[in-house]
Amino acid sequence: MIGTTTRRLIGAASLALMGTAGAALAYPDGPVTYIIPFNAGGESDVTARYQQARFRELTGHDMIVQYLPGAGGAQAWAGLNGISGDGQTIMGTNLPHIVLQPMLQDPGYTTEDITNVYMFHFTPDALMVANDSPFQTVQDVIDAANAMPGGVTAGGSATNSANHIANQVFMNETGVETTYIPYTGTGATETALVGGEVDMLWGYTTVAVRQGDATRVLAVATEERHPLFPDSPTFRELGIEMVGGAYRGIGVPQSTPEEVRTQLSDIIGQINQDPSFREQMENDGYALIDVPYAEMDAFMAERIEAYTAIAQQLQQ
Amino acid sequence: MANAATILFEALSPMNLLLALLGVLGGTVIGALPGLSATMAIAVLVPFTFVMDPASGLIMLGAIYTGAIYGGAFAAILVNTPGTPSAIATTFDGYPMARRGDGDLAVTLATIASVFGGLLGAILLITLAPRLATLALAFQSTEYFWLAILGLTLIATLSQGNLVKGLMGGMFGLFLSMIGVAVIGGDMRFTGGMPSMLGGIDIIAALIGLYCIPVLIGMVATPDQHLDPGEARGFRLFEAIGISVRNWFNLIRSSLIGTLVGILPGAGGSIASLIAYSEARRASKNTANFGKGEPGGLLATESANNATVGGGFIPTLVLGIPGTPPDAVIMGALMVQGIRVGPSLFQSGDGTVYVFMTGLVIATLLMLPVGLIIGRYAFRFITNVPKAMLVPLIAFMTVIGSFAIHANPHDVLVMVVLGLVGWAAGLAGFGASPIVLGLVLGQIAEQGFMRAWMIGGARGDFMGQLLLNRPISWAIVALIVLTMMLPLLRGRTARRLVAQDLARDRVAATTRVDRAGLAGSVVFLGLAVVMLMQARGLSPMAAAFPYAIGGTLAGLSVLQILRSLRGQGGINAEGAGADGTVRGLVLAATMLGWALVFPHLGLFVTSLAACIILMLTGQFGRLTARRLAVYLACLLAMVVGFYLTLDRVLNVPLPQALLF
Repeated sequence: MIGTTTRRLIGAASLALMGTAGAALAYPDGPVTYIIPFNAGGESDVTARYQQARFRELTGHDMIVQYLPGAGGAQAWAGLNGISGDGQTIMGTNLPHIVLQPMLQDPGYTTEDITNVYMFHFTPDALMVANDSPFQTVQDVIDAANAMPGGVTAGGSATNSANHIANQVFMNETGVETTYIPYTGTGATETALVGGEVDMLWGYTTVAVRQGDATRVLAVATEERHPLFPDSPTFRELGIEMVGGAYRGIGVPQSTPEEVRTQLSDIIGQINQDPSFREQMENDGYALIDVPYAEMDAFMAERIEAYTAIAQQLQQ
Repeated sequence: MANAATILFEALSPMNLLLALLGVLGGTVIGALPGLSATMAIAVLVPFTFVMDPASGLIMLGAIYTGAIYGGAFAAILVNTPGTPSAIATTFDGYPMARRGDGDLAVTLATIASVFGGLLGAILLITLAPRLATLALAFQSTEYFWLAILGLTLIATLSQGNLVKGLMGGMFGLFLSMIGVAVIGGDMRFTGGMPSMLGGIDIIAALIGLYCIPVLIGMVATPDQHLDPGEARGFRLFEAIGISVRNWFNLIRSSLIGTLVGILPGAGGSIASLIAYSEARRASKNTANFGKGEPGGLLATESANNATVGGGFIPTLVLGIPGTPPDAVIMGALMVQGIRVGPSLFQSGDGTVYVFMTGLVIATLLMLPVGLIIGRYAFRFITNVPKAMLVPLIAFMTVIGSFAIHANPHDVLVMVVLGLVGWAAGLAGFGASPIVLGLVLGQIAEQGFMRAWMIGGARGDFMGQLLLNRPISWAIVALIVLTMMLPLLRGRTARRLVAQDLARDRVAATTRVDRAGLAGSVVFLGLAVVMLMQARGLSPMAAAFPYAIGGTLAGLSVLQILRSLRGQGGINAEGAGADGTVRGLVLAATMLGWALVFPHLGLFVTSLAACIILMLTGQFGRLTARRLAVYLACLLAMVVGFYLTLDRVLNVPLPQALLF
């Protein structure tokens, strides 16, 4: 009944004591609660589950996954800094969400409110068609869109989302015009594509892995070809400057001491180096990246700049 | 493929049977508590399945899922609050049955129907899954739009006393569904500038509030018992079987509807049971009894919603597209275990999936004994517990339930406020069910229509996209027309109804102006004007529905204002809400205070205080010191129990408050 509050109070008190003593902090100090700002079953959840087992192996402490879905993640992020900053509670963070949401509306937090500690993977954007589609290459799409501006429909999840951005970047880079059709969630976009409601889909490599033979990947937004799709070119190979997707990382409350941030960053980095973890992630279509806490500011600045330009176009 | 005997042997291993039994038991209890959902229970248990054999883990998750969908019926029948959205339509006939003393029969009927529907769904999953999965792909945005409209036609059915008021309630529900960030257009709509409203109104929180708060206010209004206990009659199993056998065609039709709608990833159990209910009513000889405690209506909804379990697994396993939210969690669990669902699953020859499906059948069969025993206990419990305990118990469940959905105190406030709005609307003759239908179906209707509009626009053929080129839509539109025309087709009934209406109007006209209805209509007219004004600032894609709904609501409100002035009030069958009493006001104030204070003071402390106030509110007659001590001890145990369950078992993050 005394519950987590007391536990956290004791934790905070002992932290303060140790801090004054100047001793190195033992992190983690007990089980770590990992808040996922989305429902269970999604990509944020599955990758957290993959980390869960390794976290225990590395630190000897449990990682408890909790879900706090609402308003596309905004509800959880708006409450992030209200959590005590002892590192025992951490939260999943997603790009472009934490940049776009505060830019386009007032979700109750700003991008600067979120202290990202590590970005550990991204799901690369992928342009997909159903296997019976007449489009064999990206050039086919460009030709069709040139023949009938706005006549090619491209599905994606939600408005002002990673998929929506991908469509806008594609239009900017190729000069064609497509019609973006928003859906609620990735599952709905898959039915729309395979069922033939939209001509093509802005999805991720993870979606393409799940759909297997039912879909064909025309191009992937990675720097080098994705190992699971050796026959699908990257956009770069086609002369289209598109590298990116939806990034996932881990954030902590602003009150978290620098030392704890670095220690957490190190642990997540070690999990990312685990060969079995890498294999599991890559087999599902994820692309691992390593942006530790020390490099976070530069990474975020670069992302914010990229998204700002596109967001202005989406607003028009 | 592994042979059938091996699969059966594996599925029937003692370990798997035990897990299925535990799953059904746990699922039923969680489903019966509004707000605690199958999705939540499954998500909590997923990590445990990682250390199990994949088939065993899956069997347990499937059992929880089917148990939870079934458990939703208990709260619907006994407290008039759907434990899950799938049980919305179960309240229509289940609660009236319980009110007249047939609660035990209703629970037994729900059990039989759930087992029947669950079995049919599971059998279709085992035998025809790959073929039926194509249906998930044939249903596109357009079909979802028409399906939502078909669901909305139920409003006409539910508000026979006064169609205009029913339609106004439906429009209000559609308005509620539009609050938040528009999926199409991306605009913020009707949030009043509050970030907490960006996520919109949560359907489950709204359900709990709209159905449960009026029941609570009604409970404290009179010292009478909440439900007529009836005489002790055992399970009434043979009586229930007799009714079920007479309704055999209804059961088969409803289970098929449930399975087919379950296959559609955008629909789900709530729509399946609403459509099954509507169809059962249309086909029944006792049409007039529906909504007044007709067993056929109960059988239809409960068989349909459990059939969606098997149906929902069809696209999940065959296409890799989750049919329902619990399916999504189970799919995530499968992926972590290295089982990839989708087209290759059935071709790979891996027996796991067949063991799982057999396990689902076994779990469904286990629902019969488990359900009958729990049902009997729950019914006796609800009828025998004194009101002074029942009121705080149900009130605490509404708070915990609406909080647990997103671990967000905001949802609790939404639940209470909507509950009070629903209660006031009930006084003015606007029933809760049309509002709920509008809220549940609004997003499906809006997004379906707007996508058809955008895609049709891109292809230069809007009408073709919306209806002309789409044979499945023709069929749904035909059903809509049939439902709407039903009273005309049955000429005699129609004439009788018209005569009744006229007679009622004449009686009403000689009495007095429908003041409550007039006030309500003026409020709705104001809301419609606000809607239309705010729609002007939205992007065209996000503004279309607000314009349409606002315009319709304005027109209906003006019409009802005129009718109310002429004394044509009309009270919906279910709209006869309890009048406000001092106790009712205390209850309302306590709930509101509870929702506002607990995020700051702490859930445990606030809940204990609120429960004590509600106990006194629910106590009629003298309270002896000994009895008071027993009550207080029970309340303490209850609050501690729920608090620990939430904090320790379900891992729901509690607000960081002053106390705990």
